[in-house]
Parts: sequence; C-alpha cells; structure tokens
Amino acid sequence: MESQSAETRQIVYDDAITRAFIWASVLFGVVALLVGVLVATQLVFWQANAGISWLSFGRLRPLHTNAAIFAFVGNMMFAGIYYTTQRLLKTRMASDMLSWVNFWGWQAIIVAAAVSLPLGLTQSKEYAELIWPIDVLVAIIWVVFAVNFFWTLAIRNEKNLYVSLWFYIATIVTIPVLYIVNNLQLPTSFLHSYSIYAGVQDALVQWWYGHNAVGFFLTTPILGIMYYFIPKAAGRPVYSYRLSVVHFWALIFLYIWAGPHHLLYTALPNWAQTLGMLFSIMLWAPSWGGMLNGLLTLRGAWDKLRTDPVLKFFAVAVTFYGMSTFEGPLLSIKSVNGLAHYTDWIIAHVHGGTLGWNGFMAAGMFYWLIPRLYRTKLWSRQWADAHFWTSTFGILMYIVAMWISGINQGLYWRALDGEGFLLYPDFVETLLSQRILYHMRLLGGVIYFSGLIVMAINLIMTARTGRAVNGEASVVALPRNTGPGFAELVRSKPVVISLLIILAAVLVGVSTPITAPAALAVGVLLAVAAIIGGGLGGGMEKWHSLLEGRPLTFTVLTLVAILIGGVAELIPTVVLRSEVPDVPVPPMSASPETSSDAVSAATESEYKQKPYSPLELIGRDIYVREGCYNCHSQMIRPFRFETLRYGDYSRAESYIYDHPFQWGSKRTGPDLHRLGGKYPNLWHYLHMRDPRNTSPGSIMPEYRFLTDKKINLRVIEPKMRAMKKLGVPYSDSEIEGGVETARSQGALIATDLAAQDITLDPESELAALIAYLQRLGRGPQPTTLEKAQGR
Amino acid sequence: MISEKDIVLDHNYDGIQEFDNRLPNWWLWILYGSVVFGLCYWLFYQTYGVGDAPEVRYEKVIARAAEEQLARMAGQERTDESLLLMAKVPAQVDAGRALFEKNCVECHLADGSGKIGPNLTDGSWIHGGKPLEIRHTIDKGVPAKGMVAWGRQFSPMKIDQLAAYVLTLKGKNLPGKAPEGEPE
Repeated sequence: MESQSAETRQIVYDDAITRAFIWASVLFGVVALLVGVLVATQLVFWQANAGISWLSFGRLRPLHTNAAIFAFVGNMMFAGIYYTTQRLLKTRMASDMLSWVNFWGWQAIIVAAAVSLPLGLTQSKEYAELIWPIDVLVAIIWVVFAVNFFWTLAIRNEKNLYVSLWFYIATIVTIPVLYIVNNLQLPTSFLHSYSIYAGVQDALVQWWYGHNAVGFFLTTPILGIMYYFIPKAAGRPVYSYRLSVVHFWALIFLYIWAGPHHLLYTALPNWAQTLGMLFSIMLWAPSWGGMLNGLLTLRGAWDKLRTDPVLKFFAVAVTFYGMSTFEGPLLSIKSVNGLAHYTDWIIAHVHGGTLGWNGFMAAGMFYWLIPRLYRTKLWSRQWADAHFWTSTFGILMYIVAMWISGINQGLYWRALDGEGFLLYPDFVETLLSQRILYHMRLLGGVIYFSGLIVMAINLIMTARTGRAVNGEASVVALPRNTGPGFAELVRSKPVVISLLIILAAVLVGVSTPITAPAALAVGVLLAVAAIIGGGLGGGMEKWHSLLEGRPLTFTVLTLVAILIGGVAELIPTVVLRSEVPDVPVPPMSASPETSSDAVSAATESEYKQKPYSPLELIGRDIYVREGCYNCHSQMIRPFRFETLRYGDYSRAESYIYDHPFQWGSKRTGPDLHRLGGKYPNLWHYLHMRDPRNTSPGSIMPEYRFLTDKKINLRVIEPKMRAMKKLGVPYSDSEIEGGVETARSQGALIATDLAAQDITLDPESELAALIAYLQRLGRGPQPTTLEKAQGR
Repeated sequence: MISEKDIVLDHNYDGIQEFDNRLPNWWLWILYGSVVFGLCYWLFYQTYGVGDAPEVRYEKVIARAAEEQLARMAGQERTDESLLLMAKVPAQVDAGRALFEKNCVECHLADGSGKIGPNLTDGSWIHGGKPLEIRHTIDKGVPAKGMVAWGRQFSPMKIDQLAAYVLTLKGKNLPGKAPEGEPE
C-alpha cells in the first residue's frame, strides 16, 4: 500500500486444510458427545456398561473429556487458525506439507487416544491421561504446527498482527510449556510410566496444567477465532482496540496463576491456595473484556440476529463465555469452593464452557465457513435454527440439573443434626436424592447431542450442493520492516514499568509483616508513575502497534508473561520441595473413630510414611487403570463434616510416594483416603464384584473381571526400580524379593477370604486391589503369615 | 453508558476494522477492584495472618463442637469419651496446663518427657493409658512410687482438666525418659 516498489500478486489460500479440520471436528464432536451420553446414561443406569471393562465409566470418562477438548474443539481450533491466519497475514501457509502433517498427526493422536483410554492405558492425570508415546507424538505435532505458524508469520504480507494472532501466539507458546512440564514421567514399559512428581507436587503441576489447558486451549484460540468471525459475520468493526490490548495481556498474565483453585482446602500449602483464589478473581475482568468486545461488536447488528444463524450462535457462545468466566471466579472463592468442590456444580461449570462457549462458537464458525468453503448457500436455515434452539435448550437443561444437583450434594454432605453429627452419614443417601437430576442431565445431553447431529447433516448437505473452492486474494508484498527492533521494544517504558509493578507485587507477596508496607508503597508509586508517565495512555497504543509489527518480540514477551506465574508457584513447591517435610509426619489413623480422637497415641513406626508393598503398588496401578479417581477422591478437607465422615483430614506427608497423585476432583462416590481397615477383606470382595451387595443404591460398575484376571508378576521389579529412581526408598533386596512378597501378601488375603468360604486367586487383580484399598490412609500391612500373626 | 465517540482505526485486516472505544468504567472498577481486593486479602490472611488459615479454623470448629458436646453431656457420668472431648477444648486444656506447670513439672518436666516420674509423651503406661485410668492415677496417686494423690488437693473438675492436658501430651513421643510399663 505504502511502498511504491510494491508489486501486486495473486495468491490462493490453502482452504483444503480448513475443510479437513472442520470435518474432523464434526466427526469427533459427534463421537465425544456420544461417549458423553453413554457415561451420563451409566450414571442413571449403572448396567449401561454391559459389564464390559472397556465400557466402564472410569475408562470412558477420560475418553469423553479428551475427545471433547482435543478432538472436537482441537480440530475446530485448527480449522479456525488455518483459515484466519492466512487471511490476516495475506499469505498462504508457509508449508502445505507441515499443515497436512499437523492434520494427520493430530488425527492419529485422537485415534490412539480412542484406543488406549478404553483399554485402561492412562496416566490418570485429568485431560493428560494419554500414555507417554502419545504424549511424545503430541509434542512433535505441536512443534510442526508452531513451525508452520511462525514461518507463515515470517513471510506475511501484512505489516501488523491483528488481535486474533496475538491469541494464537499465546496458545502456541503456552501449550507446550504446560504439556511438557506436566507430562514429565519415567516409563516402565512402552505403555506405562510413573509421573516424576509425587503427591502435592504432582497435584499442583497437574492443576496448573489442567486449568491452563482450559485457558490456553479452550479459551485463547477461541477468542482469537471470535475476533475474526464476529466482526466478519456482523459486518461491524471490533468494539475497542484498546480493550483488546488490555484484556489480552491481563488475561494471559493472570490465567497461569489460577490453577491452585482446583486444590482449595487440600493439602496444598495455603499460600498457593490463596494465590489461586486471588488470581482467579482478578481474571474476572480480563475475561469479561473478551466478552464485551464480542458482544459490543454486535452493536448495530442486533437485528441480524433474528435472521442469521451464525450470529445467533456467536451471541449465545459469548454469553456463555461471560457466564462461565463469572462462575469460575465465584467458584474460586474459598468458602464457595468448600461447598462446590467435588460436586456436580463443577460439572455444570465445565459444560457451560465447553458446550456453551466452545460448542456454539464451533457451530457459528462452521455455518459461516462451510458455505464459503464450498461456494454455495447454507442448505437449510430452518435446520440451523432447529439446531440452535435444541442445543440451547439442551445445554440449559443440563446445566440447571447439575447446578441443583451440585448444590444439593454440597448441602447433604455438610448437613449436621441437632447434636452436631452427620444428618446423612450414608453416602448413598445423597446419591439417591439426586437421581431425578441425573435423568434430567441425560435428557439435556441427548437434546444437545441431537442438535449436533442436525448440524452435521446440514453441513454435509451444504457441502454437497457446492464444490470445494479455495479463497484467493491479491496481495501487495510487504516492504521490509524498518521500525524499532527487539532490543528497543523490550527496553521501552511499558515493558519496564509492567515488569517493575510485577516485581513490586512479588515483593509484597514474599514480604514479612515489617517489610510489607515498604513493598506496597513501592508498588503504588510505580503504578502512579506509570499512569502519570502515560505508559497506559496513548503512548502505549503507539508502542503496541509497533510491537504488533514484531512477531518475535511479541512472542518473547508473551512467553515471559505466561512463565512468571508458573515459576512463582511451581519453583517453591516442586523444585525446592520446601513445603513437604519428609519426616516425621503425624500419625495416620485407620478409622474415623480413632482419628477423630486427636490425642490417640501412635508408635514411632507409624510416624513415617512407608512405601507401598509390591502387591499394593500393583493394586494401585489397577486403581489408576480403572480410573477410580474419576469418581473417588483421596483428599479429606479440613472441615468437621468431612472428618466426621471420612476421618482426620489429609496431610501432604501422606502422599510423598504417590506417583501419580490420586486426589481426584469429583465425588460421585465417597472419599477413599482413609478407607484402609474400615472394612474387612470380605466386604471389599463382595463390593467389587457387586457394589449393590454391600451398598444398596450404589451406581458403581461391577468389577467382576478383576477376579479372573491375573496380575503380571514380571512387571513388579521394573516398576519398583522405577519408583526407586523417583525417590521411593525400596532397598535392593526388597525389589529382588518383590515377586515373593507380592505372592505372600496375596496369599494372606486369599487365606482370610477362604476362611469365609470365598475362593479368590491370590494372584488375581482383585487381591492386589484389595491390598491397596486396605493400605489407604494407614501404615504398612503384613505381607507374610509370620508378620500377620506377630501383630 | 457507552461512549459513542467511536473511532475507526485506520488499519484493516482482511476487511476487519476496529473502533477504539474507551474501556467501560464499570469494567475498570472490576479490574482494579479485584486487584485491590487481592492485595488486601493477601495481607490479611497471609502476610499478617489476621484471618485464620483453614487448619486453624478447623481446630476452632472442632473445639467448639467438643465444648457443645460436653455441655450436652453435663451431669452424665464421667467417661473416656468425655475426657477425650475435654482434651479438645482449649480452655480446659489451658487450665490443665496451668495446673501441670505449677505442680507436676518437678517430676515430669515441662514438656512431659519425664525425669523422676515417667515420660508421659510415649505410648507406654505403667498404670494404664486410657483416659479414665490416667485420671485415676492423678486422682488417687501411687504413693508407693511417689506419685501424689492430687484428688486430695484439687476439686474433681481440676483433676479432669489435668487429665485432659496429659491426654494432649500422649503420642508426642518426645525424647526423654525411656518408656516404662506396658505399650498401649
């Protein structure tokens, strides 16, 4: 435009890649929701798994979440990024080959996940369940995507980067940081590994990842997509550029700190919990900045909402985004979280985000893109309207059911009678009280799902009436950028002042009661100086527009912004391990009766956490494989209503050998942290074979197949060696005798059961699982007959 | 509410234009307000510790519940359970500690680890470690071994408080006099 030497060229965009990702997203969206409907059915009719191990809830729920996030939204995200990036940069993607490696690699990952998760191959870290070979593939494919993207930035024919691209950059640099740090693991075989972190550290890293997967996979790229498609579809300018700038930087800087809000009232150090809560509250405004820019861009186009299905979907999507990002900070307030954690309220929250915000954004984008990508008109507006109304109704029904159910659970669990004891001591009572809501959830889910099917048909019919065409544009080659370089931009006032303010805030955070006022004063002075100096006024916009012309500088600053929070929270807890004393630890009592007795005596041996016996370790891996953590927590919070029900509250020291942690995030069933010794082996045997035998009304699947399946004794030694490498103090003789010890402990359980006329193979998986369950929350259990009699 | 001084910035990305509306005041209030709230909350709970950490609050809740339960049990016979409840009520334990520090430290030391008298923090008991047994030992004493029968000097209530305090020493396992008697 500006340069006289510029030449005009005709280019063709690669839209085939967008089409491919859209169809993949539609296909896997249907699959993800179908699995969702199936698991929701199992919560109403436990028989719905047909007694098949790979259809049980604990194995399918990870498939549902992973498919919804990475397959449905993931493919939609790639479709949006590939389509918009080319147009916003006025160039074709740098490498078609890399684009297609990205596409097929991603689909291979999805297929691998769809096979491995039902088989019980899992790391058990939520939304990071995939086993290590698939993790490696994810990392490689992401690098391919990143290289292609940044290469395209380098060859762009547009001077500055539009706001969508900022969000894409934040996504592309943050996801690998999260993914790699959380997936550091020590393989014991091609299909199995142990997380290198244990207990509290593992929990913190996992939820730093888990929360930011929501932030940087389900939020930032979709905001980028919103910033392209809403102004396009509405034919209106974006509401406010400066709001884009402020909310972008605030969002990515603050998001990364908020992970610990998943661990409120747990054994995580309190300072980290508080940080998680406060940064979540501070995230409210930056998130709403995105909502405002989306909704207010529709000003002057509201009348089009009546006729244009695309805008309808976008408007509802952004509304759901606003609702979820208000609900998130609300749920992060400690006292609210005390009620809502482990309940269905959280399920309502995540579905509002994924089905409401992501699902409706996807639908709007598909309805806008498919007619254009096939140069035709939408096959049926009525069908699109039908999709809109069924899905809106379905999601609302789902969310309302889960809200009521969640609050109901929270209140049932904490209800005390006039004498200060549990009003509903039997966990099943709560479950029975909300059965109708589980039916309602299933119905809402089915209705939403039927909307998706309507969409799929509409999109396919649309594509059939047209033919695939690729977008074209005439572009003017970009003259060399002669603006300020990297060093100049990084040394500029906005960066320096922002960093100083962050530094002052960190100083306040770590200061003692005496130094706090000084640190606070410095922070206020800096903020005032920034405002007076115009660092946040007009000068800032000019500076930012220079920054938009410098993708490398932009990327580096983005990386710095997202690293600060992670470093501040992870380094003290994970690297320094300063928060978890190894020894001595408080006594761990077996049963609620003795544990509520705060002055019970404990012998010296019970003071130290001891590693799991070989059989318990194998049993624990079965617990992980079956996905028990999807319904059972192992983390008792310091509330009286929890300690009355489950025993003394959980402490960090109990988990120092737990690779990976099994705290869970949801209690469809009761907490298990202090289950050991609560019931005899016979109870566990009967319960695992038919949960309703011992707990009438339970909706837990039957685990009969564990009786017939033999444990693999050969894996004991390599697993123990791996654990030793991770710091679990197994001696060499313990490792060498591992198989023998496992056999004798299994025999002990079998003998105990035999005395009650039950025959159980001592080398069965059920024996191992019982050994693990009986160990939960207490010290070492006898592994040989002599020890058992010696007690 | 919304400024209509919309300025279309002079750039254009694939046909997309941008206004440069100022940030809504109410939005800025949420932004700044949440930051200020965060700072105040941090100072209140973390830096100055004015507010209770979850564990501290839990202990208070447990103490109040024990106190209420004791009140409900008032007039009933003294039991192991009632003494254990008492050991969870800070006011009772503090009263017991005061008595202990005045009368018992010569033989048992201030931390209870034992000198002339046995170590009260280990798991071994010469005359029984159950709450009522401990109370009985304090009340009637063991004259043969030099343990005073405190029941002659103090009211039954004070003996209860002493027993409650001794119960809080149980299980601390401090290094001191070697274990004597039977492990519990």
